[in-house]
Amino acid sequence: MRAFLVALFLLVLAAGGAAAQSGERVLAATLENGLRVLLQEDHRSPIVSFQMWYRVGSRNEARGATGIAHFLEHMMFKGTPTHGQGQFARLVEQNGGQDNAFTSQDVTSYYVNIAADRIDLVIELESDRMHNLTLDAKDIASEREVVIEERRTRTEDDPGGFLGEEVSSIAFRSHPYGAPIIGFMEDIKRITPEEIRAFYKTYYMPSNAILVAVGDFKAPEVLAKIRAKFGKIPRGATPPPVLAVEPPQNGERRVVVAKQAQLPIVYVGYHVPNQTSADAFPLEMLSTILSEGRASRLYKRLVYERQLALEAGGDYNYFSQDPNLFWFWATPMPGQTAEAMEKALLAEMETLKKEPVTDEELQRAKNQVEATFVFQEDSVHRRAALLARFELIGVYADKDRFLERLRAVTAADVQRVARAYFADDRKNVGVLLPRP
Amino acid sequence: MGARVLKVARAVDWVMRLRRPAAVLVVLTLLLALPAGAAGPIAHREVLPNGIVLLVAERPAVPIVVVRTFAHAGAVLDPPDRAGLANLTGALLTRGTAKHTGPQLDSAIEFVGGSLSAGAGRDGLGASLAVLKKDLGLGLDLLAEVLLTPTFPPDELKRKVAQIQAAIKRSEEDPGTVAGRALARLVFPRHPYGVPVEGTIESVGKLTRDDVVRFHGGHVRPDTTVVAVVGAVTVDDARREVLARLGGWKAPAEPPASVPTVAAGGPPQTETIEKDLTQATIVLGRQAIRQTDPDYFPLTVASYVLGGGSASRLYSRVREEGGLAYAVYSHVSPAKYGASFSVSAQTRTAEVPKVIEIMREELARMTRDPVTERELKLAKDYLIGSFPLRLDTSAKVADFVVAVEEQGLGLDYADRYKERVAKVTAADVQRVAAKYFAPDSFNRVVVGAPPKP
Repeated sequence: MRAFLVALFLLVLAAGGAAAQSGERVLAATLENGLRVLLQEDHRSPIVSFQMWYRVGSRNEARGATGIAHFLEHMMFKGTPTHGQGQFARLVEQNGGQDNAFTSQDVTSYYVNIAADRIDLVIELESDRMHNLTLDAKDIASEREVVIEERRTRTEDDPGGFLGEEVSSIAFRSHPYGAPIIGFMEDIKRITPEEIRAFYKTYYMPSNAILVAVGDFKAPEVLAKIRAKFGKIPRGATPPPVLAVEPPQNGERRVVVAKQAQLPIVYVGYHVPNQTSADAFPLEMLSTILSEGRASRLYKRLVYERQLALEAGGDYNYFSQDPNLFWFWATPMPGQTAEAMEKALLAEMETLKKEPVTDEELQRAKNQVEATFVFQEDSVHRRAALLARFELIGVYADKDRFLERLRAVTAADVQRVARAYFADDRKNVGVLLPRP
Repeated sequence: MGARVLKVARAVDWVMRLRRPAAVLVVLTLLLALPAGAAGPIAHREVLPNGIVLLVAERPAVPIVVVRTFAHAGAVLDPPDRAGLANLTGALLTRGTAKHTGPQLDSAIEFVGGSLSAGAGRDGLGASLAVLKKDLGLGLDLLAEVLLTPTFPPDELKRKVAQIQAAIKRSEEDPGTVAGRALARLVFPRHPYGVPVEGTIESVGKLTRDDVVRFHGGHVRPDTTVVAVVGAVTVDDARREVLARLGGWKAPAEPPASVPTVAAGGPPQTETIEKDLTQATIVLGRQAIRQTDPDYFPLTVASYVLGGGSASRLYSRVREEGGLAYAVYSHVSPAKYGASFSVSAQTRTAEVPKVIEIMREELARMTRDPVTERELKLAKDYLIGSFPLRLDTSAKVADFVVAVEEQGLGLDYADRYKERVAKVTAADVQRVAAKYFAPDSFNRVVVGAPPKP
């Protein structure tokens, strides 16, 4: 392991701190209108992953208009005066490309993976829809029904999705993280075309976006093309900041949901700091120790040894823009109660507070994260996404410091954060009880 | 972020909302459902002395290696009263070997940031390894152990049976899974493809250690096994490392089991499964053809025009114009002994009749009128042009070469696929649609709440 790490480190240095392992250096630029551009050459396959990341998600939504960021994401495929209804998908497909998009709490991301010699087309389409989206009222009306069906699939008819929404809503009283990304049904039905147009105008602009492309191209040439197309788009006004700060919690909060399901589900969410805190690294290590693989702690104890759970895990979102929750989840085996499941899950947290994790657990988790970074390099899509993720919370080159910081985490650090954050005053519990 | 988030998607809410859902897999397969291949020689192929087919694709740039093994020991070989046997056997491979207990195997591979898993699908049973290049020796040691010397400890068997039963129980929550199982039963009424790979809660409960030992000993054998090694490794190194560990593996004396190709389905059936849901899942399905049939290529094009992409007829009518569904698809699902073709959508309860009507109309239209030149070109351009994206990671290449080998398509399948697709005409599409798209020839499953009177 050590020799390998040293080699990795040297390569990183050689690449100007920009990329690891197979990596070419990253060509980073900020256009005059504020568009951030990250380009990385990767000549292994004749393809490119071209991604637009807008700094807007459900975090930027107001009460009464939840789901508008996601609704707009759907509308981004509906056309501009130059590329009309359905043209975007058609053009991408007939050029052999695959595209999709997602909305999260913090970002809205669009990607096209396509033969590298078609990159001009993607630059054309993405620059066009950044500024010229039609947002026709009739298209909005029909897409509204699609979004409603999506909500039915993901939330109304999905026990886990439904419970997650309930727990978020009790955990956050002030911050928009309490609202579902897809939006409440009532809001999806209500949101007007004027509101969507205003939201688009407020958040979709060069200065609020990151363009990342990794693939088989010459970076300076592509940068020139990007300048030519995106450079013309006006910078726009700086979007309003998210001001909400979640007030401290006093005592545990709890929600119980009865829904048609086969097995109960238990979620526990603790308020934790985000990556602006030094505690983010031990928290990140902790979530790997708890959940990555069959040797991980929750799987081994609750699923394997005690056979209480069909599945169990814990997860920390390192990239969250604002402080968020450390989630735990568990599904009891048939015959086990949700109550016993919750107790067992909480007992694991108490153990984390009392005893340091073992050296083996810690080292394994570090090795797993290191290896994951190498595995990522195999995919241009994942390489591009990782650059964007780090750029969103700082600068892409932090990717390398991230590993250094993780390597420095000790068992005492992990124990300290478990004690500090897995406390009743931060705890939000959700239980789903199956209704036949 | 860290390892988990990059690999695992979870139900909790900060994860993402996609504009389009991932394709709904109606019929489950282990490694397959790959329709296409790549340009040029995609892998080195050789047969080792004990019959193992070794496939190696060198991808030197990233220091990782992915290994897939595939033996012809899938659920198709489950005895009729032992549904779920292949699946249980596969799941137990990593739960104890002559040298290591299950937890020791887990710790050993995960300590180096690698992964080793095993399992079975309809046609095959296999293991999957991903390691950093420097750990290939360790990874292959463990892989060889789980294939050759699994011990199937009784307590592990009991535990795994309970887990599989629990997973089956929970999957009853998922309307797509429920619909897929019901449809498979109707499409393949007298063939193992009609039976769930995982079996049923009852059938799995009856499986014994003897069943598992016998299944492993009889069906997991070198002369039906494919081993694909892809990544930062040379052909010579891969051969040497694989031979060192699997070269002494001997096939049993009796010949490999044979499996009947699927018989024609019975008359189409309709089934409604009531669940207290706000949305109904609709699946229409029937038998189709495999890649070895020349009509497979026009069928693929036809399916793409009908419900393949965002410009397809069903997507346009059901989603874009009608706002009736988030997910609507058509899908050809080839396997080794048979194939199915299906059309699926999820819509609000009240609109079920309308969506079924649109599906039937669009199927019928494909049989009646030729597709337009524009549609034909789009489908062909996409199917051919998107090709490199199917092979852009070591894992995808490994899955692809295994699928091509085990389905007997030949490593030049990639090139042939492109040629064949390029030659498809509108008349071919219509001819094949006439054969396979007649609306009355489809079984139909609807999972959801009964319509309100």
